[in-house]
Amino acid sequence: MTTQGIIVLIAVGLTLLVWILDLVRRDRLYVGYGIIFIGTILGALLVLLVPPLLGWITRLVGALFPASALTLLALCFIVFMLVYVLAQITVVSNRLVIVVQELAIRQAASVSRAESAKDEPQGLERRTGVDL
Amino acid sequence: METKPRVLVAIPAYNEAESIGTVIERVRESLPDFDLLVVNDGSRDATGRILNQLGVLTTTHLCNLGYGRAIQTALTYALRRDYDVLITLDADGQHYPEQVKALYHENLGAGWDVLIGSRYVESHDYARSPLGRRIGMRLFSWLVRLVGRQHIYDTTSGLKVIRRSVFAPLTRWHFIDFHAEAIVYLLRLGYRVGEYPITVAERKHGQSMYSLLSHVTYPLKTLLILLIAVVEAELTRRSRR
Repeated sequence: MTTQGIIVLIAVGLTLLVWILDLVRRDRLYVGYGIIFIGTILGALLVLLVPPLLGWITRLVGALFPASALTLLALCFIVFMLVYVLAQITVVSNRLVIVVQELAIRQAASVSRAESAKDEPQGLERRTGVDL
Repeated sequence: METKPRVLVAIPAYNEAESIGTVIERVRESLPDFDLLVVNDGSRDATGRILNQLGVLTTTHLCNLGYGRAIQTALTYALRRDYDVLITLDADGQHYPEQVKALYHENLGAGWDVLIGSRYVESHDYARSPLGRRIGMRLFSWLVRLVGRQHIYDTTSGLKVIRRSVFAPLTRWHFIDFHAEAIVYLLRLGYRVGEYPITVAERKHGQSMYSLLSHVTYPLKTLLILLIAVVEAELTRRSRR
């Protein structure tokens, strides 16, 4: 990879890093997700700054060029993040379902209890003979 | 002294303003001994208002969660309020509440955990259904037979008599529409699922919950969840040992 390419990628990486840290600071991004991105960016920067590491990864994934190896890794990361984000959305959606169902059940249960009480209004009074 | 089973009739309803009133009236007439619960699944039309006017016990979902979740709400309600039997009916008026008693007595007599009101168990004839549905019916009936080792002819019927024994298993895990996937799950867990012949009326109002797109997505989703149901049932069985 050319020096210019490495400089551009490092600049992009650092910008992303600052952006993610700021999002976490302003509570716009959950710290757990921030860790994933920061870890990935730092890993990418390390690979770019240590050329033997990039060469080793290129051989490891069976790519012909370092750029191809980086593209493959980026693609894997995107797919991983996509699945992860969709899984998180499903988790949140399921929590919402539970809340909606719980509200509905509690509302109906309270109505049902009120109606049962209405059906036998003086039941306890009659049985106990005391004014409740 | 033997106590009478507590029975809850649950009707999941989504935008059924045109038919829900008649359905409730008929249920009240035909099944006066049973409690009635309508799960208003986030309807945007006048369904909620009609239910209020009729004074029906209603669980209202604040947003539309789908048929499966509506049934699950009814199951959870029945479980918590100590009902012995839950009967599910469609809100579109296709089921005859008058036929429910026979189904209920068959369930009590034969001891089914789930008894399905089946349109096809007698005739085995899917010919009157639209082509897409006919293919789906055959496919899922065949799949249930393959993995559940029992022939269920009507896997998509909304009329079911469900015993308390399966309330918990059916709320423990999520199902799409409580159709083939739920049947397979229960069969694999060793529960008894049966069919009883019923007739259904043509839908007069509203739209089917199956849109054009869902004719493609529904079989795929059900197929996937059915396979997962087999695994899930196996894991549940192992955890019981």
